[in-house]
Amino acid sequence: MAKFVTIGERLSTTAPAVNKAFSARDPEPILKRAKEQLDAGAVYLDVNIGPAETDGPELMQWVVKLLQGEFNNVPLALDTSNMKAIEAGIAVYNRDKGKPIVNSADASGRIEYINLAAANDAICIALCNGEGIAADNDERMGYLQVMLERGLELGMEPEDLWFDPLFLVIKGMQDKQLDVLNFIKDISDQGLNSTGGLSNNSNGMPKHVRPIMDSAMVAMAMMQGLTSAIVNPCDLRLMETIKSCDIIKNETLFADSYLEM
Amino acid sequence: MAFKRVPQKFNASINKVVVGTGDKTITLGGENVLPFYTFDAPIENKPKVGIMISDTGLDKTLPGIAAFYGDAESLVDVAKKAVTAEGADFLAIQLASANPDEQDASPEDCAAACKAVADAVDMPIAVIGCGNRDKDAKVFDKVAEALSGKNVMILSAREENYKNVVASAGLAYGQKIGAESAVDINLAKQLNTVITQMGFSGENVVMNVGTAAAGYGYEYVASTLDRITAAALGQNDTQLQMPIVTPVATETWNVKECIATEEEAPDWGSREQRVIDMEVITATADLAAGSNAVIVKHPASVAVLSKLVNELI
Repeated sequence: MAKFVTIGERLSTTAPAVNKAFSARDPEPILKRAKEQLDAGAVYLDVNIGPAETDGPELMQWVVKLLQGEFNNVPLALDTSNMKAIEAGIAVYNRDKGKPIVNSADASGRIEYINLAAANDAICIALCNGEGIAADNDERMGYLQVMLERGLELGMEPEDLWFDPLFLVIKGMQDKQLDVLNFIKDISDQGLNSTGGLSNNSNGMPKHVRPIMDSAMVAMAMMQGLTSAIVNPCDLRLMETIKSCDIIKNETLFADSYLEM
Repeated sequence: MAFKRVPQKFNASINKVVVGTGDKTITLGGENVLPFYTFDAPIENKPKVGIMISDTGLDKTLPGIAAFYGDAESLVDVAKKAVTAEGADFLAIQLASANPDEQDASPEDCAAACKAVADAVDMPIAVIGCGNRDKDAKVFDKVAEALSGKNVMILSAREENYKNVVASAGLAYGQKIGAESAVDINLAKQLNTVITQMGFSGENVVMNVGTAAAGYGYEYVASTLDRITAAALGQNDTQLQMPIVTPVATETWNVKECIATEEEAPDWGSREQRVIDMEVITATADLAAGSNAVIVKHPASVAVLSKLVNELI
Protein backbone atom coordinates (compact mmCIF):
# COMPACT_ATOMS: atom_id res chain seq x y z
CA MET A 1 0.00 0.00 0.00
CA ALA A 2 1.06 3.61 0.09
CA LYS A 3 0.49 6.93 1.78
CA PHE A 4 -3.06 8.24 1.65
CA VAL A 5 -3.70 10.44 -1.38
CA THR A 6 -5.63 13.62 -0.68
CA ILE A 7 -7.43 15.35 -3.54
CA GLY A 8 -8.19 18.99 -2.75
CA GLU A 9 -11.78 19.89 -3.55
CA ARG A 10 -11.69 23.67 -3.30
CA LEU A 11 -11.38 24.54 -6.99
CA SER A 12 -14.99 24.04 -7.88
CA THR A 13 -17.61 26.04 -9.70
CA THR A 14 -19.87 25.41 -6.71
CA ALA A 15 -17.86 28.15 -5.00
CA PRO A 16 -19.07 31.45 -6.49
CA ALA A 17 -15.63 33.06 -6.33
CA VAL A 18 -14.08 30.17 -8.27
CA ASN A 19 -16.92 30.09 -10.76
CA LYS A 20 -16.45 33.77 -11.43
CA ALA A 21 -12.68 33.39 -11.82
CA PHE A 22 -13.12 30.50 -14.27
CA SER A 23 -15.58 32.53 -16.36
CA ALA A 24 -13.40 35.62 -16.35
CA ARG A 25 -10.14 33.64 -16.81
CA ASP A 26 -8.89 35.47 -13.76
CA PRO A 27 -5.85 33.55 -12.48
CA GLU A 28 -5.41 35.25 -9.14
CA PRO A 29 -8.27 33.71 -7.08
CA ILE A 30 -7.60 30.28 -8.62
CA LEU A 31 -3.90 30.33 -7.81
CA LYS A 32 -4.62 31.56 -4.31
CA ARG A 33 -6.99 28.68 -3.59
CA ALA A 34 -4.63 26.20 -5.18
CA LYS A 35 -1.71 27.42 -3.10
CA GLU A 36 -3.72 27.26 0.12
CA GLN A 37 -4.58 23.64 -0.59
CA LEU A 38 -1.05 22.64 -1.55
CA ASP A 39 0.44 24.40 1.46
CA ALA A 40 -2.03 22.46 3.59
CA GLY A 41 -0.76 19.18 2.16
CA ALA A 42 -3.04 18.29 -0.76
CA VAL A 43 -1.44 15.80 -3.17
CA TYR A 44 -3.83 16.19 -6.11
CA LEU A 45 -6.06 19.17 -6.87
CA ASP A 46 -9.54 18.60 -8.23
CA VAL A 47 -10.52 21.02 -10.99
CA ASN A 48 -14.30 21.12 -11.21
CA ILE A 49 -15.30 23.42 -14.03
CA GLY A 50 -18.97 22.40 -13.91
CA PRO A 51 -20.83 21.43 -17.10
CA ALA A 52 -18.90 24.06 -19.11
CA GLU A 53 -20.96 23.30 -22.17
CA THR A 54 -19.81 26.14 -24.36
CA ASP A 55 -16.13 26.65 -23.61
CA GLY A 56 -15.17 23.47 -21.69
CA PRO A 57 -12.10 22.33 -23.68
CA GLU A 58 -10.60 25.78 -23.86
CA LEU A 59 -11.32 26.50 -20.16
CA MET A 60 -9.88 23.19 -18.97
CA GLN A 61 -6.69 23.68 -20.96
CA TRP A 62 -6.34 27.15 -19.55
CA VAL A 63 -6.71 25.92 -15.94
CA VAL A 64 -4.43 22.90 -16.39
CA LYS A 65 -1.66 25.04 -17.87
CA LEU A 66 -2.17 27.72 -15.26
CA LEU A 67 -1.95 25.36 -12.29
CA GLN A 68 0.81 23.09 -13.57
CA GLY A 69 2.86 26.06 -14.73
CA GLU A 70 2.63 27.79 -11.39
CA PHE A 71 2.95 24.76 -9.09
CA ASN A 72 5.63 22.49 -10.56
CA ASN A 73 3.32 20.20 -12.55
CA VAL A 74 0.97 19.53 -9.65
CA PRO A 75 -1.13 16.44 -10.45
CA LEU A 76 -4.77 17.17 -11.17
CA ALA A 77 -8.19 15.53 -11.18
CA LEU A 78 -10.25 16.81 -14.11
CA ASP A 79 -13.83 17.07 -13.04
CA THR A 80 -16.62 17.99 -15.46
CA SER A 81 -19.55 16.43 -17.23
CA ASN A 82 -18.05 17.69 -20.50
CA MET A 83 -15.91 14.78 -21.73
CA LYS A 84 -14.32 16.82 -24.47
CA ALA A 85 -13.06 19.23 -21.83
CA ILE A 86 -11.38 16.39 -19.93
CA GLU A 87 -9.75 15.12 -23.09
CA ALA A 88 -8.55 18.60 -23.96
CA GLY A 89 -7.17 19.03 -20.45
CA ILE A 90 -5.23 15.76 -20.64
CA ALA A 91 -3.77 16.83 -23.99
CA VAL A 92 -1.86 19.64 -22.29
CA TYR A 93 -1.28 17.81 -18.98
CA ASN A 94 2.27 17.11 -17.72
CA ARG A 95 2.57 13.71 -16.01
CA ASP A 96 5.81 14.27 -14.11
CA LYS A 97 4.09 14.28 -10.72
CA GLY A 98 1.36 11.73 -11.46
CA LYS A 99 -1.20 10.63 -14.03
CA PRO A 100 -4.28 12.80 -14.53
CA ILE A 101 -7.45 11.62 -12.81
CA VAL A 102 -10.74 11.52 -14.71
CA ASN A 103 -13.53 12.47 -12.29
CA SER A 104 -15.71 10.50 -12.68
CA ALA A 105 -17.35 7.40 -14.14
CA ASP A 106 -20.26 5.40 -12.82
CA ALA A 107 -21.76 2.07 -13.88
CA SER A 108 -24.62 3.68 -15.73
CA GLY A 109 -24.81 6.94 -17.68
CA ARG A 110 -21.17 7.86 -17.14
CA ILE A 111 -19.51 4.54 -17.92
CA GLU A 112 -17.91 6.03 -21.04
CA TYR A 113 -15.59 7.97 -18.75
CA ILE A 114 -13.70 4.71 -18.27
CA ASN A 115 -13.12 4.57 -22.02
CA LEU A 116 -11.94 8.15 -21.87
CA ALA A 117 -9.48 7.34 -19.10
CA ALA A 118 -8.27 4.17 -20.83
CA ALA A 119 -7.70 5.96 -24.10
CA ASN A 120 -5.66 8.63 -22.37
CA ASP A 121 -3.70 6.52 -19.85
CA ALA A 122 -5.41 8.27 -16.96
CA ILE A 123 -6.65 7.23 -13.55
CA CYS A 124 -10.44 7.02 -13.36
CA ILE A 125 -12.61 7.56 -10.32
CA ALA A 126 -15.34 4.94 -10.60
CA LEU A 127 -18.45 5.62 -8.59
CA CYS A 128 -20.06 2.34 -7.49
CA ASN A 129 -23.45 3.52 -8.49
CA GLY A 130 -25.98 2.96 -11.21
CA GLU A 131 -29.21 4.93 -11.37
CA GLY A 132 -29.82 6.29 -7.89
CA ILE A 133 -28.05 5.18 -4.74
CA ALA A 134 -27.25 1.47 -4.46
CA ALA A 135 -29.54 -0.36 -2.06
CA ASP A 136 -26.85 -2.54 -0.54
CA ASN A 137 -23.27 -3.71 -0.89
CA ASP A 138 -24.13 -6.53 -3.26
CA GLU A 139 -25.46 -3.98 -5.67
CA ARG A 140 -22.39 -1.78 -5.16
CA MET A 141 -20.13 -4.76 -5.84
CA GLY A 142 -22.06 -5.49 -9.03
CA TYR A 143 -21.35 -1.99 -10.27
CA LEU A 144 -17.72 -2.30 -9.26
CA GLN A 145 -17.33 -5.49 -11.27
CA VAL A 146 -18.95 -3.96 -14.35
CA MET A 147 -16.54 -1.03 -14.25
CA LEU A 148 -13.51 -3.13 -13.39
CA GLU A 149 -14.18 -5.46 -16.31
CA ARG A 150 -14.69 -2.55 -18.65
CA GLY A 151 -11.40 -1.00 -17.57
CA LEU A 152 -9.44 -4.22 -17.86
CA GLU A 153 -10.90 -4.99 -21.29
CA LEU A 154 -9.67 -1.60 -22.41
CA GLY A 155 -6.18 -2.38 -21.12
CA MET A 156 -6.21 -0.34 -17.92
CA GLU A 157 -4.18 -1.39 -14.91
CA PRO A 158 -6.53 -2.26 -12.03
CA GLU A 159 -4.76 0.22 -9.76
CA ASP A 160 -5.80 3.04 -12.09
CA LEU A 161 -9.46 2.55 -11.24
CA TRP A 162 -10.18 4.30 -7.95
CA PHE A 163 -13.51 3.01 -6.72
CA ASP A 164 -15.78 5.42 -4.95
CA PRO A 165 -18.16 3.75 -2.46
CA LEU A 166 -20.16 7.00 -2.31
CA PHE A 167 -20.08 8.50 1.15
CA LEU A 168 -23.64 9.07 2.33
CA VAL A 169 -24.96 11.88 4.45
CA ILE A 170 -25.29 10.89 8.09
CA LYS A 171 -28.22 13.21 8.65
CA GLY A 172 -30.83 11.08 6.94
CA MET A 173 -28.82 7.96 6.20
CA GLN A 174 -27.22 7.20 9.51
CA ASP A 175 -28.13 3.52 9.29
CA LYS A 176 -26.16 3.14 6.01
CA GLN A 177 -22.79 4.32 7.27
CA LEU A 178 -21.47 0.91 8.25
CA ASP A 179 -22.44 -0.42 4.83
CA VAL A 180 -20.21 2.18 3.23
CA LEU A 181 -17.34 1.34 5.56
CA ASN A 182 -17.74 -2.37 4.96
CA PHE A 183 -17.75 -1.79 1.23
CA ILE A 184 -14.44 0.03 1.49
CA LYS A 185 -13.09 -3.13 3.09
CA ASP A 186 -14.49 -5.16 0.20
CA ILE A 187 -12.66 -2.92 -2.27
CA SER A 188 -9.47 -3.12 -0.27
CA ASP A 189 -9.68 -6.91 0.06
CA GLN A 190 -9.52 -7.11 -3.73
CA GLY A 191 -6.33 -5.07 -3.68
CA LEU A 192 -8.05 -2.16 -5.40
CA ASN A 193 -7.78 1.56 -4.76
CA SER A 194 -10.61 3.69 -3.44
CA THR A 195 -11.54 7.32 -3.02
CA GLY A 196 -14.61 9.44 -2.50
CA GLY A 197 -16.11 12.73 -1.47
CA LEU A 198 -15.56 12.27 2.23
CA SER A 199 -17.24 15.38 3.55
CA ASN A 200 -20.57 14.28 2.14
CA ASN A 201 -21.03 12.35 5.38
CA SER A 202 -21.26 15.54 7.42
CA ASN A 203 -23.41 17.54 5.04
CA GLY A 204 -25.91 19.73 6.84
CA MET A 205 -24.18 19.49 10.20
CA PRO A 206 -23.14 22.59 12.15
CA LYS A 207 -19.89 24.04 10.85
CA HIS A 208 -17.92 23.35 14.03
CA VAL A 209 -18.96 19.70 14.04
CA ARG A 210 -18.00 18.84 10.47
CA PRO A 211 -14.21 18.62 10.91
CA ILE A 212 -14.73 16.29 13.86
CA MET A 213 -17.13 14.04 12.01
CA ASP A 214 -14.98 14.07 8.86
CA SER A 215 -11.90 13.14 10.90
CA ALA A 216 -13.68 10.25 12.57
CA MET A 217 -14.98 9.05 9.22
CA VAL A 218 -11.59 9.22 7.52
CA ALA A 219 -9.90 7.35 10.37
CA MET A 220 -12.48 4.56 10.26
CA ALA A 221 -12.38 4.46 6.46
CA MET A 222 -8.56 4.30 6.41
CA MET A 223 -8.73 1.41 8.83
CA GLN A 224 -10.96 -0.30 6.27
CA GLY A 225 -8.40 0.35 3.54
CA LEU A 226 -9.50 3.62 1.92
CA THR A 227 -6.52 4.79 -0.17
CA SER A 228 -7.60 8.32 -1.10
CA ALA A 229 -10.30 10.91 -0.54
CA ILE A 230 -11.53 14.12 -2.04
CA VAL A 231 -11.27 16.53 0.86
CA ASN A 232 -10.95 20.09 2.00
CA PRO A 233 -7.22 20.10 2.81
CA CYS A 234 -7.60 23.39 4.65
CA ASP A 235 -9.43 21.44 7.36
CA LEU A 236 -6.49 21.12 9.74
CA ARG A 237 -8.09 18.58 12.03
CA LEU A 238 -8.85 16.32 9.09
CA MET A 239 -5.33 16.59 7.65
CA GLU A 240 -3.76 15.91 11.04
CA THR A 241 -5.95 12.84 11.38
CA ILE A 242 -4.93 11.55 7.95
CA LYS A 243 -1.23 12.06 8.73
CA SER A 244 -1.62 10.31 12.06
CA CYS A 245 -3.44 7.39 10.46
CA ASP A 246 -0.65 7.07 7.86
CA ILE A 247 1.79 6.77 10.75
CA ILE A 248 -0.28 4.17 12.58
CA LYS A 249 -0.66 2.19 9.35
CA ASN A 250 3.14 2.34 8.88
CA GLU A 251 2.78 4.03 5.51
CA THR A 252 5.26 6.71 6.51
CA LEU A 253 7.98 6.82 9.10
CA PHE A 254 7.28 8.75 12.27
CA ALA A 255 9.29 11.84 13.17
CA ASP A 256 8.39 14.38 15.86
CA SER A 257 7.57 16.96 13.16
CA TYR A 258 5.35 14.62 11.15
CA LEU A 259 2.41 17.03 11.22
CA GLU A 260 4.52 19.69 9.51
CA MET A 261 5.43 17.47 6.55
CA MET B 1 5.80 -21.29 -16.72
CA ALA B 2 9.01 -19.46 -17.48
CA PHE B 3 10.44 -17.24 -14.79
CA LYS B 4 9.91 -13.61 -15.57
CA ARG B 5 12.30 -11.30 -13.83
CA VAL B 6 10.76 -7.99 -12.83
CA PRO B 7 13.38 -5.35 -12.04
CA GLN B 8 12.78 -3.77 -8.65
CA LYS B 9 13.32 -0.20 -9.70
CA PHE B 10 11.80 2.47 -7.52
CA ASN B 11 10.11 5.69 -8.60
CA ALA B 12 12.26 7.45 -6.05
CA SER B 13 15.96 7.91 -5.70
CA ILE B 14 18.63 8.88 -3.24
CA ASN B 15 19.76 12.50 -3.60
CA LYS B 16 23.00 13.16 -5.41
CA VAL B 17 25.45 15.07 -3.26
CA VAL B 18 28.72 16.34 -4.71
CA VAL B 19 31.70 16.86 -2.40
CA GLY B 20 34.95 18.61 -3.27
CA THR B 21 35.83 20.96 -6.10
CA GLY B 22 37.47 20.91 -9.50
CA ASP B 23 38.38 17.60 -11.14
CA LYS B 24 38.49 15.65 -7.91
CA THR B 25 34.88 15.77 -6.82
CA ILE B 26 32.97 12.73 -5.68
CA THR B 27 29.24 12.22 -6.08
CA LEU B 28 27.35 10.28 -3.44
CA GLY B 29 23.93 8.73 -4.06
CA GLY B 30 21.63 9.01 -7.05
CA GLU B 31 20.57 5.36 -7.13
CA ASN B 32 16.97 4.15 -7.39
CA VAL B 33 17.65 0.53 -6.44
CA LEU B 34 18.67 -1.36 -3.33
CA PRO B 35 22.38 -1.47 -2.44
CA PHE B 36 24.46 -3.22 -5.14
CA TYR B 37 21.30 -4.25 -7.04
CA THR B 38 22.82 -3.31 -10.39
CA PHE B 39 20.73 -6.03 -12.02
CA ASP B 40 17.64 -3.90 -11.36
CA ALA B 41 19.07 -0.62 -12.66
CA PRO B 42 22.55 0.81 -13.10
CA ILE B 43 24.16 2.40 -10.05
CA GLU B 44 25.85 5.44 -11.49
CA ASN B 45 27.77 6.48 -8.40
CA LYS B 46 29.54 3.65 -6.64
CA PRO B 47 29.79 3.79 -2.85
CA LYS B 48 32.90 5.70 -1.82
CA VAL B 49 35.65 4.87 0.64
CA GLY B 50 37.21 7.56 2.79
CA ILE B 51 40.51 7.31 4.62
CA MET B 52 40.57 8.88 8.05
CA ILE B 53 43.50 10.60 9.72
CA SER B 54 43.50 12.12 13.17
CA ASP B 55 45.15 15.33 14.28
CA THR B 56 46.38 13.53 17.40
CA GLY B 57 48.74 11.36 15.38
CA LEU B 58 49.18 7.83 14.10
CA ASP B 59 49.33 4.50 15.89
CA LYS B 60 52.77 3.53 14.64
CA THR B 61 52.87 0.49 16.91
CA LEU B 62 51.03 -1.16 14.03
CA PRO B 63 53.68 -2.19 11.50
CA GLY B 64 51.44 -1.62 8.46
CA ILE B 65 50.63 1.93 9.58
CA ALA B 66 54.29 2.65 10.35
CA ALA B 67 55.35 1.32 6.94
CA PHE B 68 52.69 3.17 5.00
CA TYR B 69 53.13 6.55 6.61
CA GLY B 70 56.93 6.27 7.01
CA ASP B 71 58.40 9.36 8.57
CA ALA B 72 55.30 11.52 8.10
CA GLU B 73 54.51 13.21 11.42
CA SER B 74 52.73 16.49 10.81
CA LEU B 75 49.05 16.42 9.91
CA VAL B 76 49.84 17.81 6.46
CA ASP B 77 52.48 15.16 5.76
CA VAL B 78 50.19 12.42 7.03
CA ALA B 79 47.41 13.74 4.82
CA LYS B 80 49.67 13.78 1.77
CA LYS B 81 50.45 10.10 2.36
CA ALA B 82 46.83 9.17 3.14
CA VAL B 83 45.54 10.45 -0.18
CA THR B 84 47.92 8.08 -1.96
CA ALA B 85 46.27 5.04 -0.34
CA GLU B 86 45.04 2.65 -3.00
CA GLY B 87 41.29 3.01 -3.43
CA ALA B 88 40.78 6.12 -1.31
CA ASP B 89 38.07 8.40 -2.69
CA PHE B 90 38.17 11.11 -0.05
CA LEU B 91 40.09 12.20 3.02
CA ALA B 92 38.49 12.44 6.47
CA ILE B 93 40.22 14.60 9.07
CA GLN B 94 39.29 13.77 12.64
CA LEU B 95 39.84 16.73 14.95
CA ALA B 96 40.36 14.66 18.09
CA SER B 97 42.65 17.33 19.51
CA ALA B 98 39.64 19.58 20.11
CA ASN B 99 38.32 17.33 22.85
CA PRO B 100 37.97 19.57 25.93
CA ASP B 101 38.82 16.65 28.23
CA GLU B 102 42.15 16.12 26.51
CA GLN B 103 44.17 18.57 24.43
CA ASP B 104 41.34 21.09 24.12
CA ALA B 105 42.78 22.59 20.94
CA SER B 106 41.19 25.90 19.97
CA PRO B 107 38.75 26.17 17.04
CA GLU B 108 41.21 28.55 15.40
CA ASP B 109 44.04 26.00 15.62
CA CYS B 110 41.79 23.28 14.23
CA ALA B 111 40.77 25.56 11.38
CA ALA B 112 44.38 26.40 10.57
CA ALA B 113 45.30 22.70 10.56
CA CYS B 114 42.43 21.85 8.22
CA LYS B 115 43.29 24.76 5.95
CA ALA B 116 46.88 23.57 5.69
CA VAL B 117 45.71 20.09 4.74
CA ALA B 118 43.17 21.38 2.24
CA ASP B 119 45.89 23.48 0.59
CA ALA B 120 48.20 20.46 0.38
CA VAL B 121 45.85 17.86 -1.08
CA ASP B 122 43.23 18.04 -3.84
CA MET B 123 41.07 15.13 -2.68
CA PRO B 124 37.55 15.87 -1.37
CA ILE B 125 37.53 16.33 2.40
CA ALA B 126 35.31 15.36 5.30
CA VAL B 127 35.87 16.89 8.72
CA ILE B 128 34.98 14.81 11.76
CA GLY B 129 34.60 16.49 15.14
CA CYS B 130 35.87 15.40 18.54
CA GLY B 131 32.48 14.20 19.71
CA ASN B 132 31.82 16.98 22.23
CA ARG B 133 28.71 18.65 20.79
CA ASP B 134 29.31 22.16 22.09
CA LYS B 135 32.94 22.18 21.14
CA ASP B 136 32.26 20.65 17.73
CA ALA B 137 29.81 23.45 16.92
CA LYS B 138 32.51 26.03 17.68
CA VAL B 139 35.18 24.10 15.80
CA PHE B 140 33.00 23.52 12.74
CA ASP B 141 32.20 27.23 12.57
CA LYS B 142 35.89 28.12 12.21
CA VAL B 143 36.78 25.14 10.04
CA ALA B 144 33.90 25.76 7.65
CA GLU B 145 34.99 29.36 7.31
CA ALA B 146 38.63 28.42 6.71
CA LEU B 147 37.63 25.82 4.10
CA SER B 148 35.14 28.13 2.43
CA GLY B 149 34.78 27.20 -1.23
CA LYS B 150 36.25 23.71 -0.71
CA ASN B 151 32.80 22.09 -0.52
CA VAL B 152 33.66 19.71 2.33
CA MET B 153 31.47 17.42 4.42
CA ILE B 154 31.08 18.55 8.03
CA LEU B 155 30.49 15.47 10.18
CA SER B 156 28.35 16.16 11.88
CA ALA B 157 25.32 18.03 13.13
CA ARG B 158 23.38 16.37 15.91
CA GLU B 159 20.13 17.03 17.70
CA GLU B 160 22.01 19.05 20.33
CA ASN B 161 23.93 21.35 18.00
CA TYR B 162 22.37 21.26 14.54
CA LYS B 163 21.11 24.85 14.73
CA ASN B 164 24.60 26.27 15.14
CA VAL B 165 26.28 23.85 12.76
CA VAL B 166 23.75 24.29 9.96
CA ALA B 167 23.54 28.07 10.36
CA SER B 168 27.29 28.43 10.19
CA ALA B 169 28.90 25.62 8.19
CA GLY B 170 25.84 25.05 6.01
CA LEU B 171 24.05 28.34 5.42
CA ALA B 172 26.92 30.79 5.93
CA TYR B 173 29.81 28.84 4.38
CA GLY B 174 28.04 26.51 1.95
CA GLN B 175 29.56 23.24 3.12
CA LYS B 176 27.79 19.88 3.04
CA ILE B 177 26.31 18.87 6.37
CA GLY B 178 26.18 15.40 7.86
CA ALA B 179 23.10 14.84 10.02
CA GLU B 180 24.00 12.38 12.74
CA SER B 181 21.66 10.21 14.76
CA ALA B 182 22.54 7.14 16.77
CA VAL B 183 20.71 4.21 15.23
CA ASP B 184 17.29 5.84 15.59
CA ILE B 185 15.20 5.99 12.41
CA ASN B 186 12.69 8.45 13.77
CA LEU B 187 15.40 10.83 14.91
CA ALA B 188 17.19 10.49 11.58
CA LYS B 189 14.07 11.69 9.82
CA GLN B 190 13.36 14.35 12.39
CA LEU B 191 16.85 15.80 12.15
CA ASN B 192 16.67 16.04 8.37
CA THR B 193 13.29 17.70 8.73
CA VAL B 194 14.38 20.38 11.16
CA ILE B 195 17.58 21.00 9.20
CA THR B 196 15.63 21.57 5.99
CA GLN B 197 13.11 23.69 7.90
CA MET B 198 16.00 26.07 8.60
CA GLY B 199 16.08 26.78 4.88
CA PHE B 200 19.05 24.52 4.18
CA SER B 201 18.43 22.36 1.14
CA GLY B 202 18.15 18.63 1.72
CA GLU B 203 20.26 18.30 -1.44
CA ASN B 204 23.25 19.41 0.65
CA VAL B 205 22.71 16.99 3.50
CA VAL B 206 24.21 13.57 4.06
CA MET B 207 23.26 11.28 6.93
CA ASN B 208 25.30 9.45 9.46
CA VAL B 209 22.65 7.24 10.97
CA GLY B 210 25.14 5.53 13.21
CA THR B 211 26.90 2.24 13.20
CA ALA B 212 28.19 -0.25 15.72
CA ALA B 213 31.24 -2.43 15.35
CA ALA B 214 30.34 -5.88 14.07
CA GLY B 215 29.26 -7.98 17.03
CA TYR B 216 28.25 -4.97 19.12
CA GLY B 217 24.52 -4.82 18.48
CA TYR B 218 25.03 -4.62 14.75
CA GLU B 219 21.65 -6.23 13.99
CA TYR B 220 19.96 -3.02 15.06
CA VAL B 221 22.19 -1.00 12.73
CA ALA B 222 21.31 -3.28 9.82
CA SER B 223 17.58 -3.01 10.45
CA THR B 224 17.87 0.78 10.77
CA LEU B 225 19.70 1.07 7.46
CA ASP B 226 17.21 -1.28 5.82
CA ARG B 227 14.25 0.66 7.14
CA ILE B 228 15.69 3.97 5.99
CA THR B 229 16.39 2.63 2.51
CA ALA B 230 12.88 1.19 2.36
CA ALA B 231 11.33 4.52 3.35
CA ALA B 232 13.54 6.54 1.00
CA LEU B 233 12.92 4.37 -2.05
CA GLY B 234 9.72 2.43 -1.33
CA GLN B 235 7.76 5.25 0.30
CA ASN B 236 9.46 8.10 -1.55
CA ASP B 237 10.18 9.75 1.79
CA THR B 238 12.05 12.90 0.81
CA GLN B 239 13.24 13.41 4.38
CA LEU B 240 15.24 10.19 4.19
CA GLN B 241 16.66 10.40 0.67
CA MET B 242 19.98 11.85 1.77
CA PRO B 243 23.02 9.67 1.02
CA ILE B 244 24.39 7.82 4.02
CA VAL B 245 28.00 8.37 5.12
CA THR B 246 29.19 6.02 7.84
CA PRO B 247 32.35 6.73 9.82
CA VAL B 248 33.36 3.19 10.67
CA ALA B 249 36.79 3.75 12.21
CA THR B 250 35.48 5.92 15.03
CA GLU B 251 33.53 2.89 16.26
CA THR B 252 35.66 -0.10 15.46
CA TRP B 253 38.99 1.09 16.83
CA ASN B 254 37.49 1.41 20.29
CA VAL B 255 36.29 -2.16 20.80
CA LYS B 256 38.32 -4.61 22.82
CA GLU B 257 39.22 -6.73 19.81
CA CYS B 258 41.06 -3.73 18.41
CA ILE B 259 42.49 -2.36 21.64
CA ALA B 260 43.88 -5.50 23.26
CA THR B 261 47.60 -5.96 22.64
CA GLU B 262 49.04 -9.24 21.50
CA GLU B 263 50.47 -9.71 25.00
CA GLU B 264 47.03 -9.22 26.57
CA ALA B 265 45.26 -11.50 24.10
CA PRO B 266 47.82 -13.91 22.70
CA ASP B 267 45.09 -16.20 21.26
CA TRP B 268 43.70 -13.42 19.09
CA GLY B 269 46.71 -13.05 16.87
CA SER B 270 48.00 -9.92 15.21
CA ARG B 271 46.37 -6.76 16.55
CA GLU B 272 46.79 -5.05 13.22
CA GLN B 273 44.94 -7.84 11.44
CA ARG B 274 42.13 -7.55 14.00
CA VAL B 275 41.89 -3.81 13.40
CA ILE B 276 41.67 -4.32 9.64
CA ASP B 277 39.22 -7.20 9.92
CA MET B 278 36.93 -5.23 12.19
CA GLU B 279 36.95 -2.24 9.85
CA VAL B 280 36.38 -4.31 6.74
CA ILE B 281 33.65 -6.49 8.21
CA THR B 282 31.74 -3.58 9.70
CA ALA B 283 32.13 -1.37 6.62
CA THR B 284 31.07 -4.18 4.30
CA ALA B 285 27.90 -4.68 6.29
CA ASP B 286 27.23 -0.93 6.24
CA LEU B 287 27.68 -0.84 2.46
CA ALA B 288 25.47 -3.87 1.94
CA ALA B 289 22.72 -2.20 3.97
CA GLY B 290 22.80 1.11 2.14
CA SER B 291 25.76 3.31 3.08
CA ASN B 292 26.87 5.48 0.19
CA ALA B 293 30.26 6.05 1.79
CA VAL B 294 32.29 4.48 4.60
CA ILE B 295 35.23 5.96 6.43
CA VAL B 296 38.05 3.72 7.67
CA LYS B 297 41.53 4.35 8.96
CA HIS B 298 43.82 1.55 7.90
CA PRO B 299 45.14 1.80 4.31
CA ALA B 300 44.73 -1.97 3.95
CA SER B 301 41.03 -1.64 4.83
CA VAL B 302 40.64 1.09 2.23
CA ALA B 303 42.17 -1.11 -0.45
CA VAL B 304 39.99 -4.12 0.37
CA LEU B 305 36.76 -2.13 0.53
CA SER B 306 37.51 -0.28 -2.68
CA LYS B 307 38.21 -3.57 -4.45
CA LEU B 308 34.99 -5.04 -3.07
CA VAL B 309 32.93 -2.14 -4.41
CA ASN B 310 34.65 -2.23 -7.79
CA GLU B 311 34.16 -5.97 -8.16
CA LEU B 312 30.45 -5.73 -7.35
CA ILE B 313 29.52 -2.64 -9.36
